[in-house]
Amino acid sequence: MFANSIQKRLMITTTLVLVVFLALVGWVLDRSYTNSIVTSAEEQLRLVIYSLMGTVVDTGGEQEGERLEFAPGLIEPRLMQPDSGLYATVMDDHGEDIWVSPSALTTGVAFPRRQSVPGLFQFHSVDGAVARFVLSYTVIWEDVDSDYQVMFSAATDQAPFRATIAQFRRSLGLGFGAAVLVFVLSQLLALRWGLMPLRTMASEVEELESGEREKLSDAYPLELTGLAANLDRFVLHEQRSRSRYRHALEDLAHSLKTPLAVVRNALLDSQPDKDLLSEQLQRMETTVTHQLSKATPSGPVVVGQAVELGQLAQRLTRAVRKAYAERDIQVEVATPNPVLVRGDERDFMEILGNLIENAFKYTRGSVRIETFVEGDRGVALICDDGPGIPENRRREVFSRGHRLDEIENGQGIGLAMVAELVELYQGDLAIDTAPAGGAAVRVALPLAG
Amino acid sequence: MRTLIVEDEAALREQLATHLKNNGFAVDAAQDGEEGLYYGREYDYDAAVIDLGLPKIDGIELIDRLRREKRSFPILVLTARGHWQDKVSGLEAGADDYLTKPFQMEELMARLNALIRRAAGYASPVLAQGDLQLDTGKKEVRVAGDAVELTAYEYKVLEYLMLNPDRVVSKSELTDHLYEQDFDRDSNVIEVFVGRLRKKLNPIDFIRTVRGQGYRFVTQQG
Repeated sequence: MFANSIQKRLMITTTLVLVVFLALVGWVLDRSYTNSIVTSAEEQLRLVIYSLMGTVVDTGGEQEGERLEFAPGLIEPRLMQPDSGLYATVMDDHGEDIWVSPSALTTGVAFPRRQSVPGLFQFHSVDGAVARFVLSYTVIWEDVDSDYQVMFSAATDQAPFRATIAQFRRSLGLGFGAAVLVFVLSQLLALRWGLMPLRTMASEVEELESGEREKLSDAYPLELTGLAANLDRFVLHEQRSRSRYRHALEDLAHSLKTPLAVVRNALLDSQPDKDLLSEQLQRMETTVTHQLSKATPSGPVVVGQAVELGQLAQRLTRAVRKAYAERDIQVEVATPNPVLVRGDERDFMEILGNLIENAFKYTRGSVRIETFVEGDRGVALICDDGPGIPENRRREVFSRGHRLDEIENGQGIGLAMVAELVELYQGDLAIDTAPAGGAAVRVALPLAG
Repeated sequence: MRTLIVEDEAALREQLATHLKNNGFAVDAAQDGEEGLYYGREYDYDAAVIDLGLPKIDGIELIDRLRREKRSFPILVLTARGHWQDKVSGLEAGADDYLTKPFQMEELMARLNALIRRAAGYASPVLAQGDLQLDTGKKEVRVAGDAVELTAYEYKVLEYLMLNPDRVVSKSELTDHLYEQDFDRDSNVIEVFVGRLRKKLNPIDFIRTVRGQGYRFVTQQG
């Protein structure tokens, strides 16, 4: 459809509304103007009739129709002028002309012949070769012996009135046309200006795609700043995970090359040193596990559902418990209130899964898992009654850089991975000694919202 | 013990099969989920090792379908990615344990044996009935503390019977679970094994013959 542009949609609707509105206004104006013109014509004719009635003089003649006379000087001059456009007549109750204005003598004016209701003005429009307005008024003339009815009629040509109306319509149309034009033009300008930020955003996003730009500019109007900020965060997140990926791959390739070279050289011997081979394989395995764990987490996501830590802990505990079913382990999972954190569920699964599995692995018989809200943080606390984590290993986990490559123990690599993930989410990891003597690992993550 | 291996990597599948056979297991190996499902439906296994990333039918779905068809043998899941999501969905689908690749064969054997024991209701790797002790780790049998020399097949028969106590085990079930699929099955051989076993375990007599049906390992209470 043609309406796949916001600008077009707005233009079409507002222009339609404007046109309908103007048409209605125009119709109302036209109606009332025409009415007022016709009323003024009627008023004019009424005045003519009144003035005629004022000039009538009763001559007191015997014959009907001979008794009325007009004082010519007082008559409206246009009535005396042939074809002037204003006509009048006076008729008796038989429809016989008592008097016809000189203006009507050469013009066939169709005056009504039948007497109208006395005392009431009767106005009508007569169509014909020349359209005219006609007004009639019947009076009852009181005489000494009898009353008789006399009908005054006046007529005027419609042409001058129609011309005025036409003139009015022309200027009305002209004015409205100009209004529409100005409106559409200004609307066009307003829309162009108003939608400009969207166009800018589209082109900036295009530049982001092609890599010509790293982030969106800051100059967005209020309505778009949220969207722009979100887009920026999205792009940043994307860039970060991409670079994390690239680095992990580079590191992986780099750190695999040495053991690979050692293995290849060792195989040249007629009797390869098995211990050396297995040591190098172990090294490669640790490297792969470590680098993959660095590359895969998504980190804090911009768009994403909140994850409930309690439910996740319950689920993971059920699963791990199944794998450790042959050991008699007392498990307590306390998740009284929902703890919502935002991020990729898989990352939180890695964090909690590793910690819970460690607890199961090292416990002597009882594991306790809690989740709760503390200030603006969601906390998961995992305790066991095993040997605990020695001080030097705790430090190892937290010292950046030198961690994983040297650690070969399963718990070490798991914990170090958890530490990296928690850091990625701007959370805190604390390792302590549990009341029962084992390890107490505490993870605090920013709450969602 | 009869095990099913479902693994699409040929090299690893061969290694697993060889290693399990060397440890006295009868092995069926499938290379994709579809084949795995067929085997799992057709035969009764003591345990299965299933890789999660399988062609045709995914490992999770395979486990889910086997469980829905009431196949209750223990399942050990292998996962290459080691993500918790994989482990949890495997366990939730009905697997009993997981192992992340790469793994040591010893670790796999230990886990598998533990699963089989667990399924039979033994908590320790040493199966004990009265004075009779069978160490599944060392593959040793002791009567009242003294080691008893058993051949590989004698050991397998005793282990299978101890893992299925108080139940009649037919000779054909024994051959099914102890021999490879295409092995020549002769039920007379089983009779010979059982006869020799009884002699070697003397004076303990846990193995009863149920005429015309098979054998029953009676626990002390029974």
